[in-house]
Formats: sequence, C-alpha cells, structure tokens
Amino acid sequence: MTYWAVNAVFLGLVAVTAAAALLLHRLRARGRASSGARDRTEVVRAAGLTTVVLLVMTAVFDNVMIGVGLVGYDEARISGAKLGVAPLEDFAYSVAALVLLPSVWTLLGGRRPAREPSLERPARRAGPARPAQPAAGPEESR
Amino acid sequence: MGAAYLVALLISLAGMAALDRRFTLFFWRDGWRAAVTLLVGVAFFLVWDVVGIDLGIFFRGETSFMTGVQLAPELPLEEVFFLVLLCWLTMNLHSGARLALGVLAARREGARA
Repeated sequence: MTYWAVNAVFLGLVAVTAAAALLLHRLRARGRASSGARDRTEVVRAAGLTTVVLLVMTAVFDNVMIGVGLVGYDEARISGAKLGVAPLEDFAYSVAALVLLPSVWTLLGGRRPAREPSLERPARRAGPARPAQPAAGPEESR
Repeated sequence: MGAAYLVALLISLAGMAALDRRFTLFFWRDGWRAAVTLLVGVAFFLVWDVVGIDLGIFFRGETSFMTGVQLAPELPLEEVFFLVLLCWLTMNLHSGARLALGVLAARREGARA
C-alpha cells in the first residue's frame, strides 16, 4: 500500500466527519435568523487564509524535520513528488487537520456558546469583575 | 540521546498557549470543547502514523536530536507532542484568521463612515 492510498482512507474519514458537521451546522442554523451571504464570505476567506498559512508553515517545518533526519521514508511507497525534501503526501496531515479539527469543534458545540476570539487583553475580559469598575452591580460581577 | 526536538516542541507549545490566552483562540474559548477536539485530533493522527509505520511507509530517523523513548516501534515520544502542536496551531490559526479578517473589515467600515 502506498502513502497516497493510506492518505485516501484517512482523508475519506475526515470528509465524513466534515459532512456530519456541516449537516449539524445547517440544522442548528435553521432555527435562527439566516446568517447571510456576507457572513459566509467571511468564513470562506478565513478558511482560505488559515489553509495558506498552515500549508506554508508545514512546508517549512516538514523540510526542517526531514532535513535534520527526524523521519525517513521508504522511497518505494511514496510518489516521489516533493516540495524541497518533503514528500507531497505529508501535506495530507495538514489538510486533514484543517478540515477535521474545526468539524469536531462544531460537532461538540452545544447550548453553551464558546467565547469569541478577541483583541482584548485577557485581564480585562476573564475572571472576576475588576475592582476598577465600581459601576458594576453584584448581579453583573461574574 | 538528546532532547533538542522535544524542547523545541515544548517551546512552540508554550507559544501556542500564550497566543491562545492573549486572543482567546481555542482553549480559552471553551476549555472542555478544545480538550476533546484536540484529543480526537491527536488520536486520529496517531492511528494514521501507526498504519503508516506498520506498512513501512515512514520510520523514525536515527538522530541525536530525540530522546530515544518510543511509544511503539518507530513511534517516538516526540510525535505525540508534534501532533498536539499541529492540532493546536491549526485551531489557533482558524480562530486567528477570523479575528484578523473581522478586525480588518471593521476598520474598513470605520474608515468609510
């Protein structure tokens, strides 16, 4: 069995997970107001940016890892297509991560919404109410 | 017997944690959800690794940069840390990209107003 054949099996599993996540996302969205095409464009743009950055980073660290001899390959089982010294097949791990992890995150989403990513410093948003906000009543000081 | 690779991975993981905390990217969004997501990812990639190793596609390099501790034949201890890093990096990038694009869009709106 070649490296590509193994990758095809695992990428297939990733695709199934992604399909389940997409279906669940649609079902959940049905009850709410439509998120709109603009929101969708933002999601697609973010996914594109994430993909480009991760693949470039993979090319860098995979080349370093193989270059210093952390891992070796049986030349008979890889296609021979390489980016530097990194077999193209290795990028399947990153592609899988890009699809699988956000899918699992979505599948795990429940009633409680996750906190949103923020530029705000952690000290200002998390934990007990700051004593510097005397206006906050006891009800709000969570 | 070296720990250079493991140390490099741990430093990178510390960087992931710092970014995660600073910008609320993954564990700081929802700790339990992130932990389970990461566990599923790492377990999935470990199975992929073991299959690849069993079929003789890839193997551990003979290098002085690794501790030499193996979890299974040809599966170095460092691989688990590498996979955790790959998964955490992916999710940090995923949240970070949305945050960055959102902030840029908001600035553009602000400039137009």
